[in-house]
This record gives sequence, C-alpha cells and structure tokens, in this order.
Amino acid sequence: MILAETIESFRIATDALRSNKLRAVLTMLGIVIGIAVVTLMGWALNSLDAAWNSTIELLGNDMLYVDKWDWAGGKNWRETMARKNITIQEAEELQRRLRSAELVIPMASFWGRTLVVDDQKAAGFTVTGVRAQYAQTAAGDVADGRFLTEAEDRFHQDVVVIGYGVKKAFFAQDDPVGRELKIGGRRFTIIGVIAKRGSALMDFVDNQVFIPLNTFFSIYGTSTRPVSIAVKAGSPEKMEDVRSETIGTMRLVRGLRPEQDQDFSINETQAFRDQVAQIRLAIWGIGLYLTVMSFVVGMIGIMNVMFVSVTERTKEIGVRKAIGATRRSILLQFLLEAASLCLIGALAAIALCSILAAGIYFLFHEKAPFLTPYVPPQILLISITVSIVVGVLAGLLPALRAASMDPVEALRYE
Amino acid sequence: MSDSSELLRIEHISKVYTMGDEEVHALRDISLTIRKNEYVAIMGPSGSGKSTLMNMLGCLDSPTSGSYWLAGEDVSTMNDTELAAVRNKQIGFVFQTFNLLPRATTLKNVELPLVYAGVKTDERRRRAEEALVSVGLADRMTHKPNELSGGQRQRVAIARALVTNPAIILADEPTGNLDSKTSIEIMRWFEEIWLRGNTVIVVTHEDEVARHARRIIRIRDGNVESDTVNEQPVSLSNGGMGTVHGSTSSVSA
Repeated sequence: MILAETIESFRIATDALRSNKLRAVLTMLGIVIGIAVVTLMGWALNSLDAAWNSTIELLGNDMLYVDKWDWAGGKNWRETMARKNITIQEAEELQRRLRSAELVIPMASFWGRTLVVDDQKAAGFTVTGVRAQYAQTAAGDVADGRFLTEAEDRFHQDVVVIGYGVKKAFFAQDDPVGRELKIGGRRFTIIGVIAKRGSALMDFVDNQVFIPLNTFFSIYGTSTRPVSIAVKAGSPEKMEDVRSETIGTMRLVRGLRPEQDQDFSINETQAFRDQVAQIRLAIWGIGLYLTVMSFVVGMIGIMNVMFVSVTERTKEIGVRKAIGATRRSILLQFLLEAASLCLIGALAAIALCSILAAGIYFLFHEKAPFLTPYVPPQILLISITVSIVVGVLAGLLPALRAASMDPVEALRYE
Repeated sequence: MSDSSELLRIEHISKVYTMGDEEVHALRDISLTIRKNEYVAIMGPSGSGKSTLMNMLGCLDSPTSGSYWLAGEDVSTMNDTELAAVRNKQIGFVFQTFNLLPRATTLKNVELPLVYAGVKTDERRRRAEEALVSVGLADRMTHKPNELSGGQRQRVAIARALVTNPAIILADEPTGNLDSKTSIEIMRWFEEIWLRGNTVIVVTHEDEVARHARRIIRIRDGNVESDTVNEQPVSLSNGGMGTVHGSTSSVSA
C-alpha cells in the first residue's frame, strides 16, 4: 500500500505543480536555492579536501622543515626578517646530533631564476641545491633518468634534475635527459626529470630544478641564502618525538639560552592544515547561513502551499476517509506530497549545480586540477535526504490538519 | 438477539451536538434493525436528523449514547482507525455530488477503496474492472471524471461502492444532482444491485426516489416517525420502467 501511495502522492504533487507553474516555481525557489547551496558547498569542500590531500602527499605527512621563514606567516614579519640565516654548518651540526629522525637533508633555494636551453629563455624558476638523500623523500621521485649522487655533490658537478614544469616549458615531447641547461650562464647537464607533483596550492614545486648543494654554494655563496633543513621522521607517529628533539637540538646548535625566543621556524603540513581548516570553516559558516535562511523561506513556502492544498481538497479528504482511509494514510499522503515537492526542487537544484560544477571545471581545471567535473555522489545523497527531511517537516502541520479532519465535516465542505 | 439474517441493529441511539451553550438533539433514542438484502429508503425533511442517522449508519460518526451492531460487531465503541477499517470493508458510499477524484481515471477511482484495503495491484485492477463492467462502463475505464456525463459519474461512484463487496450500499441523495431521466437510470442500477443480493440504503427527501425502495423509514425531529413496508414499489428492473404510477402506502409506526 505504501508504494502505491507513494507513487500516487508523487503524481498528485507533479499534477499540482503542472496546474500552477508560477506558484510551484515560487514555492520551490527557496528549496532549490537551499539545496543548491548545500550541494555547491559540499562540492567546494570536496575539492578543497582533494587539494589538501595532494598537498599532504607532496610535502609528506612525516616531514618537517627547519626554516628561517614561517610558512603559515603566523609570526611577526619584522621579527622573522631579523633572524639570522640558518647556515650549512648549523644544518650539518643538526644532522650529526639528531637521533630520532630517519633523514636530515640540508637544502637551499633561490627563487625567480632564469633558465636557458639553446636559444630558449624562461624566467620564474626556483633553483634548489640538495643533497643526494633527497631522492629518498616523496619530493625526489624521479620519472626519467636518475637523481643526483653523493659524488656529484662532493665534487661540485654541474648536473641538474629538472621538475616537470621545466620539462614542459623547454622540451615538450623531447627527452631532456643528456641535454644542456644554462643557469646564470653556467652550463649544466640534465640527468633526470622529477615526476609531476604539482597541485593547485603548490604548483611551484614543478617549476624547480635540483642541483648538488655544493654546486649551489659555489654559484651563490654560502651566506646569501638561508639553508632549509628537511627532516624526515619516518612515520606520522614519530612526528611528535622528532619535532621536540629537532627544536631542542636546533636551540643547542644555535646557542640559544632558555629564556631566548626560538629564532627559527618548524614548518609542517600542520601549518596548511590550519589554513585549510579556516577556509573550511568559512565555507561552512557562509553555506550554513545561506542554507538555513533559504530552507526557512522554502519551508514556509511549502507549508503554505500544503495548507492551501489541504483546504482545497477537504472534500477529497472526506471521501478518502469515507471509503476507508485511516488518519495514518491521510497523513502519509500529504507528507509524501510535501516531500515530493521538495524532492522535485532538489532534483532541479542538483541538475543546476551539476551544470555549474561541470562549467567551473571546464573553465578552471588547468589551474585547479583538484576540481571534480561532477558533484560527488555522497553530496547528492545528502542533498536528497535533506530535501526529503525538509519536505516532511514543512508538510507536518498541514498533513496533521488533513489527517485529523472529521469525515462528516469534510464531506460537507464545498 | 434476532434471526441470522440481521445485518445491522441500532439500539437507543442518541446524538447530541453542543453549539455554544445550547445542546442540539439530532437523534433521540432511535432503535432500528435492517436485515440482509433489504432495500430501504430513509426519508425526512432537512433538519430531521436523517443525515446524522446516515453518518451513524455509515460509521462516519459515533453516537453520544446507545449501541450499533454492524455485521455482528459493536461499532459504537470503536476508535477512529477501527471505524476506518469498518467503513472500508462493510460500507459502500454513494454521494449526491459523486465525489470522484478529478485527476484520476475511472479505473483508479474505483481502485481507491482497494488501495486502503491493502489489495495487491493486479487483484485491485481486476476487481475494479469487474465492478465497472457490472455497471455498464466497460468502455470508460481510462476516462477522467470530467469526460463523463453525470449519470456515468454516478455509476463510477456505484462501482467504487461495490468494489469492496460491502455489507451495505449507503447512498445519500444519489440523484440530487441529476435530471429526471438520468435519475431513473441510476435508480434502476440501485434496484439491479439490490436484486443481485446487496443491501441498499438510500437517504433522500424525494418521494420519487424513495418509492423504489421496499421499506421506507421516515425521520422527524430525531425520531423514527414511521417505518413501513412499501407494498407497491416502483420496479425498474428488466429495463422496464414498470408500474410508474404505483403509490406507496404508509402505516404509522
């Protein structure tokens, strides 16, 4: 009986919609907006999570970086500027003393460099000097050729491993391994290409070239650029121990007295996590506000239409009761009708959002590869569930009124 | 207890409505027995209480006092849900204004009581078709009410009343919205249904309608004024319009 009633109610709802299109559209507008907001919010959060996950993967969730700079920018800018650069000696001292970490890799970077291949020239690349162990981190994964060796570092060799973005900029379909690349007029031989790693939040990582750290120092000197120290804990569980040992050891290396402030930053994916959490919260806040507002408006609309529908069909309710409908089946009929109204609104909203999501993806997926071209199914499920719940809530009072009608009175109604 | 052919029995039924401070006695201590396969007309002017009595007989309303036995069950003490089930199972209503669902087809309208009875789809369809055939509407199953004439609509309503195979067909002014020719046609259908073995109760204020019945109960001021056998009923069966000039003889109760 319930199935038959459901189909019947859905048909009555669609009939009622067809017979008064304007009223139907206005009624469902609130619900459509509400569901659209929920759906788009879910889609945005989903994309944000995807971006976040690719960032975690990129940086490694068992990695921390000892830097002059604070990634999250939380520290006072002047105070950070005034910090002494971390030197290679300090980095190597830390490397010797740190017990709990799996790997400690000093590295140094110079941003905004110009690279030249044959007569082709392009600016905006980062030149990073690293040690050979960098190959053992997620960021040192070579797709073609090989990574730098300890010997090449020790002997200041002019060899380079290029990022995916560099390959794309200069070589297109050609194999770059074995070719020549000029950095600041100095000739380097390309020995490998790093696998594509970039994500929207971190697309600069692909526009990077890696040279031996000692070669880096012989070009740029040891004091102009601050050294950054990558510390690999080995597993996320060990992060806590490695972090405290790193801080303690680094303070010791830099000769800080207990009352002195720390003059270096410990950077981890945690910094991004906080930022992502803030964006998430903002999306949720705005989305929730809009959703609640439009649902309230939508519910009032649906409730109103349902009250009108109940009144218009008083006689029908009387007839149904006379031929054997119980309170329960009348209640069910009107609840289903209200839920159907909302469901139709939700389906319209979902169609709208799907087109919108596909459109946004089509326009921006180059810049934001974490975007999905469709609204994720679990979000659709949530939207549909919410719409049905809203419909049932909106229909409750009108349906109760219909169910509690006295059949004699209802039959007499003209 | 009376004989086994007894279908319904009301004993000392009263119905009091409170309107503001005033008490209105719609029914005053009515007792009545109707047997299986009777053809009864309940008559009375407006305000006589005949509508209240009909609502009571149709289990749409409960009495203030007294008891009502229908098909062996005491329905006067039943709750709403139980009454709905009794209406569904035992009573087939035919209304003055037909009261079909305007957006549903003839077939769907006739199926509706079976939906509430929980009958499965195939069975429902089969029985609704059967009921429509039995009132001569085999070729109107997919029509909507607004595509039918008044007489046809009332026949759909009769089919809807018959489809659950109820104990009583209870008709409230069934020809009130029809012209005289169509009225006769509808009354012929009631007679036909009665001849097939159903119990028919027609509530009306028109002598023309009542005179087809075999028993006439007159209500006035909430009491049974008279309860008589119609000795010269106007028979319409076998297509013949019968003794159109027949008259009713009444015996005072």
